Amino acid sequence: MSDAGLPDPLTHAEWTAGLRDGRLLGQRCVACGNETAAPKAACNECGSREIETVELPTEGTVYTVTTIAVAPAAFEGGYRVAVVDLGTEGNARVTARLEADAEIGDAVAFSDVLEVEEAVPVFR
Amino acid sequence: MHQARIVGVGMTNFGVHDQPLPELFSSAAFDAMDDAGVDAPAIESFYLGNAMGGQTERDTHLAPTLASHIGLAGIPCQRYEDACATSSNAFKHAVRAVEAGQHDVILVGGVERCTPTTGLDTPEMTSVFASASHRQYEQPTGLSFPGVFGLLTTRHMHEYGTTEEDLAAVAVKNHHHGTYNPRAQFGSETTVEEVLESPIVASPFHLFDCCPFSDGAAAVVVANEEAAADFSGESVAVSGVGHATDTIPLADKADFTATQSARDAANQAYEQAGVGPDDIDVVELHDCFTGAEVLAIEALGFFEDGEGGPAAANGETALDGRIPVNPSGGLKAKGHPIGATGVAQLVELTEHLRGEAGERQVEGARRGLAHNLGGDAGTTIVSILEVDA
Ligand SMILES: [Zn+2]
Repeated sequence: MSDAGLPDPLTHAEWTAGLRDGRLLGQRCVACGNETAAPKAACNECGSREIETVELPTEGTVYTVTTIAVAPAAFEGGYRVAVVDLGTEGNARVTARLEADAEIGDAVAFSDVLEVEEAVPVFR
Repeated sequence: MHQARIVGVGMTNFGVHDQPLPELFSSAAFDAMDDAGVDAPAIESFYLGNAMGGQTERDTHLAPTLASHIGLAGIPCQRYEDACATSSNAFKHAVRAVEAGQHDVILVGGVERCTPTTGLDTPEMTSVFASASHRQYEQPTGLSFPGVFGLLTTRHMHEYGTTEEDLAAVAVKNHHHGTYNPRAQFGSETTVEEVLESPIVASPFHLFDCCPFSDGAAAVVVANEEAAADFSGESVAVSGVGHATDTIPLADKADFTATQSARDAANQAYEQAGVGPDDIDVVELHDCFTGAEVLAIEALGFFEDGEGGPAAANGETALDGRIPVNPSGGLKAKGHPIGATGVAQLVELTEHLRGEAGERQVEGARRGLAHNLGGDAGTTIVSILEVDA
């Protein structure tokens, strides 16, 4: 079902490998069109297991953001974490590091990958 | 269906407790049993909430361990884990077991030790708390738990104009309530200026917008109406319990300001109790961060969406306000020993409904509501207690 060359099903390992290739992979439910940037084994809107891997836009807008001062043990405080709205019809959003002064509504783009524990997208 | 009732309550002071979990829990459990007038042989089952004992103090299989410490060995015991909603989930299952006639008398409790004094240091404990966010798609970003609520609250501020001063007013109000609660971790007043001048933890939250790390325990005895009538404790009815979840991770939630699981759980509880928000006299809700209280008073129907921000500043949620919220001081001032929090809310409400809440008594309270949230509002349990139902 998925676009040619995209992993199906989309595992966490394939998702992080995609990030390292500069691609933001996600899923679209074939039955209802719901999208997610955090791969799952079934759709949470309708329960369908018929979900296809999609390449999500790498540009979006900041939906919300927080600056973390007191950080978990593996991290050094003073960074920003955002939820980025990718503007797709299926309402895909991704949690990412934000390395910009951008506020809610500002345009940001996927620029590189942070790997403290595991790969996560960085937007700026 | 049987009518579940709370017939006895007990809790420790919240703060620092340098004693093992069984010893800490036993004082709350015995207080609840003595308050109910229930001896150990009458208790048929034990429902425990403990969220993090495995991570923080290498202590698991806790339900039978704690039961054995208080003379309950042999009965069926079970432990629940749902992040900060842990012991409310234990309570919900106990209530359902009584309603179904499976058990007549149940001990429900929660216990946790989270302070750096007795356990892990702040960065380690911040990591443990963050473990309630998505392991693959949130934790690796460095998102902390205050950060989770920072994301929700920042969005609320954007959509509705809620201000940092509005948030600080929640802390000021709950600290003030805490001065009347001898069990509260913080028994001192604070001011909007003091909150805003305290260091940022995760924006928009300053240190004084956040609940503390706490140690503590709480317990209640739940019984059906016939058993309750035989015990000396003045009982209150459990007229409704709702329980709902929402999508994890946060980014997949449809609406960041709704805390939809709270709305769904509240609707279930209101429906079971046959009441609505206007019928509630006193509320204990999950103010892990000041912004969480703002989201909750809207989700529970006490304020229109977008109008919860100024509620504390306007005095509407104070002890003498239109709808008193967190007379105990809430998680903010009373403290938040994760697995004990949900049951501690029920202890507070029971005391108000009995007219035993002392200086912080909500006068004439006949119906109370508890809202206990777990994770990124991934779980919420809402319970309604009343004097006679
Ligand atoms: Zn679907």
